[in-house]
Amino acid sequence: MDNKLLRMIAVIELLAIFLIWELLAVFQWFPTYLSSPLAIFKSMGELWLDGDLLNHIGSSLFRSLMGFLLVVIVGVTLGILAGYYRRVGTFFDPIVNTLNPIPKIALLPILMVWFGISDTTRILIIFLTAFFPCFVATRDGVKSIKQVYLWSGQNMGASTFQLLRKIVFPVTLPKIFDGLRVSLGLTFVMMFSSEIIGAANGFGLGFLILNADLGGRTDYMFAGVAFIGLLGFIFDKLLLTIRGKVLWWDVNKA
Amino acid sequence: MTKKNAAMEIENLRKVYSTKNEDTVAIKDVSLTIPEGKFVSIVGPSGCGKSTFLHIVGGFIEKSSGKVKVRGKEVEKPGPDRGMMFQESALFPWLNVFDNVAWGLDIQGMPKKEKNEIVERYLKLVRLWEFRNQLPSQLSGGMRQRISLARILAFDPEVLLMDEPFGALDAQTREEMQVELLRIWSESKKSVLFVTHDIEEAVFLSDTVVVFSGRPAVISEVIDIKFPRPRDLNLYKSPEFRDYRNQIWDLLHQEHHKPVQIVSEVVNG
Ligand SMILES: Nc1ncnc2c1ncn2[C@@H]1O[C@H](COP(=O)(O)OP(=O)(O)OP(=O)(O)O)[C@@H](O)[C@H]1O
Ligand SMILES: [Mg+2]
Repeated sequence: MDNKLLRMIAVIELLAIFLIWELLAVFQWFPTYLSSPLAIFKSMGELWLDGDLLNHIGSSLFRSLMGFLLVVIVGVTLGILAGYYRRVGTFFDPIVNTLNPIPKIALLPILMVWFGISDTTRILIIFLTAFFPCFVATRDGVKSIKQVYLWSGQNMGASTFQLLRKIVFPVTLPKIFDGLRVSLGLTFVMMFSSEIIGAANGFGLGFLILNADLGGRTDYMFAGVAFIGLLGFIFDKLLLTIRGKVLWWDVNKA
Repeated sequence: MTKKNAAMEIENLRKVYSTKNEDTVAIKDVSLTIPEGKFVSIVGPSGCGKSTFLHIVGGFIEKSSGKVKVRGKEVEKPGPDRGMMFQESALFPWLNVFDNVAWGLDIQGMPKKEKNEIVERYLKLVRLWEFRNQLPSQLSGGMRQRISLARILAFDPEVLLMDEPFGALDAQTREEMQVELLRIWSESKKSVLFVTHDIEEAVFLSDTVVVFSGRPAVISEVIDIKFPRPRDLNLYKSPEFRDYRNQIWDLLHQEHHKPVQIVSEVVNG
């Protein structure tokens, strides 16, 4: 099947879901607080025209992307070290294995003691959640590198740092991107969760959603949720585009 | 006690692989001297320890005991004084042909102009200069091995270690590569330690063929191949070539005959 056809199917699928939802809402088979797609689109438009929306989006994106940036830097670096040096790997194993299954939001009280109700706390919560997929994918990617690549590098006189930077990193890039994609999705999940802490004043899509809910405006609430979804979608596509540019060689033949 | 004209000296080399359940003796007391400027091949059955031997000389894995010297220097770790061609392709799939060959020179921090000249020289030597912008995955197996050879020659090692470099190629490409290798080698005259399981390849290329037997590897014979150089593929048809081939074939198959003889003795009586 070619791409055009696949894209058509995706669009039709979405339209069908919206149509069914709309019908369910119109005939009131759905509880009214679930709103309807048209009402939500309308509210999205209203929010757009209302000046604050860009501020909400800006604040939320700042927190998410700062968290993601930390994941890229810390997750990839530690992942490479943990995959390359067995001792570093063994050091991180118990930490990762016990922290990974914990919902990181449970660490919120601790972070709040240190950083209060601040963007630092929110960014750290986002980072802690999104860190693990990237770390694990990078570490396992490094572990599965073909030995001859490293040996070849050593044969040509590369230092350990050169091996890590000029062989381990590029070979692992496909796996790193796989992990980052999961991490990026999680930062958008945490965009909302990290903003429900503290009083809902200030900017952020999470605040918008929370206030709409408290004010009984479920259409605004869903509009806020839809904006998060839209942003997640756009940034996922952006990441895939970067991936395509960086991994111009045929990944499957590595 | 270093001999004057020895490129590589291996003394009482022994390698034991230890795993949880058992110890495998891969190499048992092998001593071998490769004279300067000579082409020496090792032949032996699969799994007898040929790659292990070469990896130890390359410094990639540790020996259990014995001595390994290259140009009088004890081998401790990998280094650009020994150019190693691995059994599987080690070209970097994320770099094009040019950057693959330039990699070792970049690592040394060589100035761009000098680097470009060297890469061009060796890509032309293996006749693949036109393919410099291609990725390794876009080339045939034979071309990839020529690139690998160019990459190693580019950083100018003192000796070459080659582990079945043509093992994955079809018979005709393999013969072309052998001729090509001799042509390239005749220009550099670096000492070569070449591993293969192909008897004819070893005879065609080498000054000396070392026959490894069984598992663990011990040397069962060292045979000097007294053909003049330059050699061409017609050599394959000569009766002397077949004599060498048969001699080595017998050596390699001795072990397989032994159990058969025992069986027949029992049958007889
Ligand atoms: N990392 C390892 N751990 C344990 N045993 C090993 C290891 N590498 C090789 N061996 C064993 O050592 C022996 C020699 O292996 P080696 O790869 O050197 O053989 P080879 O002569 O190169 O074979 P081939 O012709 O198939 O390439 C084999 O029995 C193999 O099972
Ligand atoms: Mg081998």
